[in-house]
Amino acid sequence: MSAPESNLAAAELKAMQDSIYREKILRARRQTPEERLADVFELSNHQFGMMLGGAMHRIGTTDEREGWEEVGRWMRRLDRVRENGLYVTERNAS
Amino acid sequence: MKLEELAVRVLEAAEEAQVEFMAVGAIAAGAYGVPRSTRDVDLLVSMQLPGNVTALIRRLSSFVCFDAQVTFDTLTWGRRHVGTSATYPPFKVELFETFEDPFVISEFARRRRVFVPILQRETWLPTPEDVVVQKLRWGRSKDLDDARDVLAVQGPETLDMSYIEHWCSVHRTDARLREALAGIPPLD
Repeated sequence: MSAPESNLAAAELKAMQDSIYREKILRARRQTPEERLADVFELSNHQFGMMLGGAMHRIGTTDEREGWEEVGRWMRRLDRVRENGLYVTERNAS
Repeated sequence: MKLEELAVRVLEAAEEAQVEFMAVGAIAAGAYGVPRSTRDVDLLVSMQLPGNVTALIRRLSSFVCFDAQVTFDTLTWGRRHVGTSATYPPFKVELFETFEDPFVISEFARRRRVFVPILQRETWLPTPEDVVVQKLRWGRSKDLDDARDVLAVQGPETLDMSYIEHWCSVHRTDARLREALAGIPPLD
């Protein structure tokens, strides 16, 4: 049996998560589909900009090309993790 | 190159190649749910006309490098062609082929033409109901989030829930649907 304090903390955490999620939903509801689509592109470009900064810092370069190559390496690693077992190069005969 | 510039070039190439297609993935989910970042421009391409995908890949090849090897997803055994943009950032272009799957046939037949101001052009998108069904079918964590977000933003009362429930029953994803709906907090 969990302690009353931990139940309270879990309830508070759930309430906070719901509140944050509710804000996200209500904001998205106020947007038109076109505005939401514009956000997809803006967020994506921003994320890549942040990754480039992180990659350049990580490998200690001021050369953007080297930074992008490092980002590319990160993305390929990420794909291998995320797609593990999900995609194969040969169709299962059965 | 920005993602929207790549998307415009991919959509232009698809129109020029006269292939039937619709945008899927994060772009489709973002139109109806909570926008999130992505690195992909994903298209579902009709295989009604032979050579569709080959023609499109040929047109894209001046700015997208495609893997020589096609891949199959282990859920439906659908075919996917993966390309990476030749310019930085290293965005991905994924072309999924339609195939003899009753749901894929249905979602493709129901696609809608939508004007996208940021792209300054019209494109084809799935319906929100089909995004929910597809995302629940795939069931990765980001797919389940996308499905819940579309349900929450659109509101079940505005969606054709009997259509969604039908396909979730066919795909045996009813439990995922119930979980997604239960994950929506009261919005008032």
